[in-house]
Amino acid sequence: MQGQSQQQAYDRGITIFSPDGRLYQVEYAREAVKRGTASVGLRTPDGVVLAANRRVSSPLMERSSVEKIHKADDHVGVASAGHVADARQLVDLARRRAQGEQLRYGQQIGVETLTRSITDHIQEYTQTGGARPFGVALLVGGIDDGEPKLFETDPSGTDYEWQAAAIGGDRDVIQGYLEDNYHEELDVDGGIELAVRALSEPEDEVVAAEDVDVATITTDDEAFSSVSVDRLDSIIAEFDAEETDE
Amino acid sequence: MSNWTQGTDPSPYEPELGSLPNGSQRDEHDETVAKTGTTTIGITTDEGVVIATDMRASLGGRFVSNKNVQKVEQIHPTGALTLVGSVGGAQSFIRTLRSEVDLYEARRGESMDIEALATLAGNFARGGPFRAINPILGGVDDEGSHVYSIDPAGGVMEDDYTVTGSGMQLAYGLLEQEYEDDLSLEDAKSIAARAIKSAVERDTGSGNGVFLAEITDEGVEIHGHKSFDALL
Repeated sequence: MQGQSQQQAYDRGITIFSPDGRLYQVEYAREAVKRGTASVGLRTPDGVVLAANRRVSSPLMERSSVEKIHKADDHVGVASAGHVADARQLVDLARRRAQGEQLRYGQQIGVETLTRSITDHIQEYTQTGGARPFGVALLVGGIDDGEPKLFETDPSGTDYEWQAAAIGGDRDVIQGYLEDNYHEELDVDGGIELAVRALSEPEDEVVAAEDVDVATITTDDEAFSSVSVDRLDSIIAEFDAEETDE
Repeated sequence: MSNWTQGTDPSPYEPELGSLPNGSQRDEHDETVAKTGTTTIGITTDEGVVIATDMRASLGGRFVSNKNVQKVEQIHPTGALTLVGSVGGAQSFIRTLRSEVDLYEARRGESMDIEALATLAGNFARGGPFRAINPILGGVDDEGSHVYSIDPAGGVMEDDYTVTGSGMQLAYGLLEQEYEDDLSLEDAKSIAARAIKSAVERDTGSGNGVFLAEITDEGVEIHGHKSFDALL
């Protein structure tokens, strides 16, 4: 009995290492990310594409209320997987940091600098008593001095830079699809197509345009813009047609 | 909870390390405070920036308290700032900006742009106690050569050439005749030295020689000259 309660303590205390050096609460937070629907991000020479699966559980729910892709600043977007409420906190931090950079230096914040300040914040919640870690992973995409950039944050507070990455449920399947099909010379439309195809990979059919949220940040205007359902429809219809031809 | 957010959400008007010192409002009027009456000049060229300053510190502009002051200091790998006004305020301002520049570079792996440095300097001048200063910031970055004048209320203005200090009218008189937008760095040095000389001859707050800083994309070089002869 005594032994069991001691063992469980590793499990409960966020600031406590297990004897084999693991932080169980952080690992559980990663599990929370896997329970979320997936998001995908990728970089092309002309810009960054972010895409998220936003299928709703009931036909009565308003789709627009499921927010998985957020604008952090003119030139930076954030896609999330996991706890949406946790994501909103981090997105708001990112928005404040981006504007703080404007106040302090009169300049746009770098995508890497912004990602670092998010992961620094996430890390504090893995080391502070009485807190729980963020149950969310983010893809932070944007333009830095004309260069498309894409970073991932995870619940431990680590950041990774990617050419193309998936987070959330079925991550391994989607990442595998990206690894097989990504190439560096994609244009933005090609990137949108690849992102939608990658999100469809775990399912039997291509996802419907209403079920995905897609945004781009292109190098020509360095501005975040949501991709309309009409444009998605025409991109999806085009590759549906290609497949029927084959 | 509250200190957790401090690191990620710093005030844009405060330095990251330490805090702005308090209570030097007296600097403006107190005649026991060392001031650089001063003439300082910044000129941009395609090859880089030239900054020139005189070498006198005075008490109320009536007594020369130091004849060998270096009033231009490197604060960035390719940037320098002049000391104008209260010596204590200006020195403290320089230390604060230097540590900000170093911290920025260490964290991000690249140097601050000169525009970013000018904005930060303006914020500190506005939010802080450095009321009695009026420096010039000069530097070179990917965008080219820049000079900014920073006023005591935090005003930041970029120009092709600029002058601050008690001898500014005298120096401007020469610069308005001699400045051209295709000057070489050597020509700009000679013009800057002549403009300082004009001020030194007639402004009681300026004198005792000239310091010249040359800033290129390679770095900052600063040399002092007691005599103008070799420079004109």
